[in-house]
Parts: sequence; structure tokens; C-alpha cells
Amino acid sequence: TMLKGMTRLISRVHKLDAGHFLHTGSQAPQNLAAHLDNQVPVESPRAVSRTSESDPAKHGEQHEGQHYNIPLQDLKAVFPHGLPPRFVMQVKTFNEACLMVRKPALELLHYLKNTNFAHPAVRYVLYGEKGTGKTLSLCHIIHFCAKQDWLILHIPDAHLWVKNCRNLLQSTYNKQRLDQPLEASIWLKNFKTANERFLSQIKVQEKYVWNKRESTEKGSPLGEVVEQGITRVRNATDAVGIVLKELKRQSSSGIFHLLVAVDGVNALWGRTTLKREDKSPIAPEELALIYNLRKMVKNDWHGGAIVLTLSQTGSVFKPRKAFLPQELLGKEGFDTLDPFIPILVSNYNPKEFESCIQYYLENNWLQHEKAHTEDGKKELLFLSNTNPGQLERLCAYL
Amino acid sequence: MAAAVFPAWLALQPGARTLRAFSTAVSPATRAPTPSPRTTERTSKYERPLRRKALPPRTEKMAVDQDWPSVYPVAAPFKPSVVPLPVRMGYPVKSGVPMAKEGNLELLKIPNFLHLTPVAIKKHCEALKGEKGFHTAHSEEQHYILHYLKFCTEWPAALDNDEKCEKHFPVEIETADYVSAGPSVRNPKARVVTLRVKLSSLNLDDHAKKKLIKLVGERYCKTTDVLTIRTDRCPLKRQNYDYAVYLLTVLYHESWKTEEWEKNKTEADMEEYVWENSSSEKNILETLLQIKAAEKNLEVNKEELLGTKEVEDYRKSVVSLKNEGDNESTLSQYKESVKRLLNLT
Repeated sequence: TMLKGMTRLISRVHKLDAGHFLHTGSQAPQNLAAHLDNQVPVESPRAVSRTSESDPAKHGEQHEGQHYNIPLQDLKAVFPHGLPPRFVMQVKTFNEACLMVRKPALELLHYLKNTNFAHPAVRYVLYGEKGTGKTLSLCHIIHFCAKQDWLILHIPDAHLWVKNCRNLLQSTYNKQRLDQPLEASIWLKNFKTANERFLSQIKVQEKYVWNKRESTEKGSPLGEVVEQGITRVRNATDAVGIVLKELKRQSSSGIFHLLVAVDGVNALWGRTTLKREDKSPIAPEELALIYNLRKMVKNDWHGGAIVLTLSQTGSVFKPRKAFLPQELLGKEGFDTLDPFIPILVSNYNPKEFESCIQYYLENNWLQHEKAHTEDGKKELLFLSNTNPGQLERLCAYL
Repeated sequence: MAAAVFPAWLALQPGARTLRAFSTAVSPATRAPTPSPRTTERTSKYERPLRRKALPPRTEKMAVDQDWPSVYPVAAPFKPSVVPLPVRMGYPVKSGVPMAKEGNLELLKIPNFLHLTPVAIKKHCEALKGEKGFHTAHSEEQHYILHYLKFCTEWPAALDNDEKCEKHFPVEIETADYVSAGPSVRNPKARVVTLRVKLSSLNLDDHAKKKLIKLVGERYCKTTDVLTIRTDRCPLKRQNYDYAVYLLTVLYHESWKTEEWEKNKTEADMEEYVWENSSSEKNILETLLQIKAAEKNLEVNKEELLGTKEVEDYRKSVVSLKNEGDNESTLSQYKESVKRLLNLT
């Protein structure tokens, strides 16, 4: 492994662009020298922070704390809209996407691998304090399911659907409810990118009439509905509703496995910041998107799983320190999701922290000269309180 | 001006010993043959008895080990001729010293505790002690408390710990009396009466207890199970006490009755989470039924499903989660019970 580490290090030196070369060039001989000098083979930092196992299905406890690489073309296909914005920036900077394998994700993977598809879909709720890695754990799960060829129904941030929406239209399908054409069409576009191959396989099971001239016949592929929603923005919300309904109905048949992944699911039962023209507040269930999504996260279907995260960031009218399930979901939310498996995502443990620092050091993200010393690490540990989000923000300054 | 009046007084009461003190302040000049123009007395100089020469002050005759409490047995003003201490008081003039005690008004103005020296207090305590066997007090405060306690009866020996007191006397009444020096003895603050009782000592069943707590609202403390009723709406303490007792009686009887409209109690009114007929129960029932249907096991019935141990655990965990809120233990308990219920490893 030591040799492998060294060869990979050398290959990395060539890969990085010239701007970093000088720095790495000075660093690489040091590392090599360190390796050569020691009689006892030292664990190269690479072995601590990285693993070569890039298939999430094979991740196990031995990989805990290590980063695994997601190839960039996979990233575009699986996560058109799922990744947190800071992570996207990091991917662009480092030119690679590496996720850390952590316990909550491993636990979830274990459950998912043992899912009984004949039983009703089990709901898993990831909760934790701000910045502990819930969204990235969800992304890890999504990557796994995508590799396993499940159909991914990923709503990247449900909070986006309950606040700051312009252009609310009265729903064509049901006069009581309201449409959100913009949000619906954006989501449909991303859904199409993520699940291209399924859209031609799945056939709708009833006829949908859009307006006097257009309709979708029974038996036509789901892709047509999606297209209709993207092109005719007015019908986008209804298209989303139809997609959800069809998928739910047909996942039980066994053609595909369905993963429903919603980030910030507490938005479904909270309050909205939206108001009608007469300034009266809108309840979440009056939004067609929310109404249909609520139906999706109930466990009255089988053939898949539902993974949800609670998020205070981006939520409306919730105190900043709230992170526990009942606080964020409220009574209604809890009663709807009950029974579910709550999974706590916590701050880094020492091994994960070390691994994260090593990863940043390898990518030359930490430019401060004291960053790699023990004292520097202790300082970072103290300042960030091992909170992943906080650590990431701190290291951005170094 | 005061000094000018004193000789006139002396002329009137030659026998008064207390006024002799002032005679020392005045110069021992004998009476002038001509009456001083400031005097207002009509007595002629011949009828005025001859003033005695001022005697030396009593302090010179005092022994060091004399019985001081007899010099100052009660609260009395400061008498410079009686107090043998060379005490000085006052703001000194430039390059001077504070004024001496003779004729010093400052020393007269301030309260003195010359009658409450430790020796005097000891004597008082001895006098009060009698057969009581109290610890001898040395401070003025304790002195007063002892004085009061002398008039109280003994604490009943049978009530030697708190539990017995509570068992026999569950209702505690708290009143306050106020003493002040002023024109009137009355104090409006004295009418407040606080009645404290533990609900566990009242005979209440579950419904009655819940109803009582709802009726009293803020006056009930959950942690100590104490109902506190504080009345001050009547002008007299006695009336307030009667009112407080009346309130307690009424609350007790009303909480036992069940009204018509209590049937409409909704889930939002419930004080604690009740599992039966809750949405959680419905959810779990449906889930279990679906699981059984998937396993082609259609002959199960609801009671059987709800009676299993896993459902029992689940019920307990949900109840604790709802009642106690989220914390590590309740959440992990809930997680375990759901895992077992849904057969996840």
C-alpha cells in the first residue's frame, strides 16, 4: 500500500495544474523522503483519508471515515440538482467529487440492502444539528440506489417550494389548490436528466387530458408526460402530480425500485411564507406540489424506500437551534410519518476529522503553514467543534 | 437658646435629678441679683430656691466592675454624666478634635443600645429561659424571638418529621403579620392568606385530578404537586382565610362532577398523549396489516396484532416520545421498537 500511495502521489503531481505544481513539487519529495526514511512502513495519509472502493454497495465499516470518489460524469447524471451548493463549489475547485463514508450512511445502506420490497416502504429520517452532513449522507444513499438501478425521486430542498414563489396559479386540476409552474418545471427537467432511462420504460396507466387539444393516451411512456410539463409550463405542476401518482402505483408492480428522497421534509408540514393576492396566508396543503408530495411519503405503497432529511437551514418560522424530529416536524408531520426510523447524524469523530483534514491537505486546500501540525489540527478541532459544515467554512479561509 | 432656658427650669424643679446634667454645662455662676431679661418666669428672685452647686458627675464614683444593667435598665437617652466612656462625636473644626460628650447633641440624637449590653441580654435570657432549655441568644433579634416564644406552647412531640406533619395536616396556611411604629397598627399587607395543599393528599380520581388542574391553571405546580391558592380580595385576614377554604371545597366538589360538555374534549385538550385511538395507532395497524397481506397472511385480526410485545414496546416508546419530548433515550427507544416492529435487522 505504501508503494501504491507513492505512485498515486506522483500521478497526482502530474494531474494538478501548474499553479499548484510548485507547492506540490516541494511537498512531494518531503513525503517520499518521509516514506523512505522510516523503517517501519507508516500509513500514508492517503490510506487514512481515501478509499478506492467507489461502489457504495460495497462500502462497509472498514471504509468508515474515508472518502470515496464519484466519477464526474456520474455526478451529472445522478445529481443534476441534489448537491449542496458549497459542495458543488468544492467539486469544481478540486476537480473531483469525494464523499466521506460515515456511520449514518452505512447504517442506512445496510437497511436498504435488506429491504423487503413486498412490505410497505419504510421511512428513514436523517436528523441532526446544522452542518453535520445530512444532505451529503442523503447523496451517498442516492448514489448507491442509482448504482443499484433504482428510480430516484429526489426533491433537493422542499423548502424551496414553500417560500419565495412567484407566479402562483390556480390549479387547473383542483380549484382549491395552487400551482407553482416555475418550481415544477425546474424539477421536471432535473428529474428527466436523472432518470432518463426509465422514462421510456414506464407507461402511464390512464389517459390524461391537458386541455382541449392535447392529451396523453393510456400506455404512452412517462417521458411524454414529463415533456408536456417542461414545454407547457402551465401544466407543469399537474405533470409532477401525475408522475408521482404513476410511480407510486407502479412501483408495487416490481418493474423498478423507487427511492423517494426528500431533503428538508419538515417543509411539508410547517407554514409557508406565501400569500394570496388578498394577503391571506397559504397553508402548505393548498399547494398542489406539497399535497402530492405528502401522498408520496406515506407508506401505503411498496417496492422501494423513503429517505428523508430534516433541515432547519432554509426552513421558515423555526428557531435556529431546532433539530430534533418532533420540533421540526410538528405534531402533524410526526403523526404522518409515524412509524419511521430516526437516524442521528452527528459531528465528526476523531478519525473522521483526521481524515477530512488529510483530504484537504492532499488537495492543498489548507495553505496555512501551521495547518498540518498537531497544534494546528487541535485549533481547527476546537474552532469547528468537529462540525463538518463549520470545518469546511473555516478551511476555506486558510 | 436652649442653655438659656435651663436655668429657668432649674429654678422650677430643683429636685429633678435628671436635669442636673444640664447644670454642669452651664457655668456654675450663681444667680445674678438682677433677673436675666430673657427669663419668662414670674417668680421673683427671692422665692427661687437657692441652686445647689453642681456636683461632680456620677461617672467619677462608678466602680469598674459595677452592675451596668442597673445604670441603664431601659432605653434611655444618652446621659454624659452617667456613661463613663470618654466618647467624642462631631465634625472637628480645623486643627481641632471632635466635641466631647458633655452637652453633645449628636450623641443625644442617635439611638443608643446602652441598655442592651451582652451582660444585660444574658440576664434577660436567663430570666426568660425558665424551664425551656433554649440556647442562650446573644443578639438583639434572637432576644426578641425568645421573648415571643416564651408565650408559645411546645411543639407536639409526635410530629417529629415532615411526613407525619404532612399526613396529619396536609393543608398549610401562610399568613404574615406586620409590626411597625406609626400612627396605626393596621397594615393592608397583612390580609394576604396563602393556602397550600398537595393534591396527593386529596381524594381525587384521574378525571377529577385532570379537571382540577385545568380549573386552577397556573396555581398548580407540576414538579412538587402543590396547589397554591393566594387570596387577598377581602379586607380582613379572617375573611380571606374563609374564602381560600371555600375555594378549595368548591374545586374539590366541582372536579368530581362531570358536565355535559366535557364529552367534547378533543385531542388538543389532552394533557398527555393517549395511545388508544390515536393516529399513531392507526398508522401502525395499517402498516402491520399491509405487511401481513404481503405475506399472504390474511387471517389475523386487529386485537391480536395490537397485543404483541413489539406493538406494546412501540406504544410505550411513542407515548414517552410525545410526553417527554425528544431526547436521546426516547428517540433511540423509538428507533429500536420500530426496527423490531418492521423486522429490520
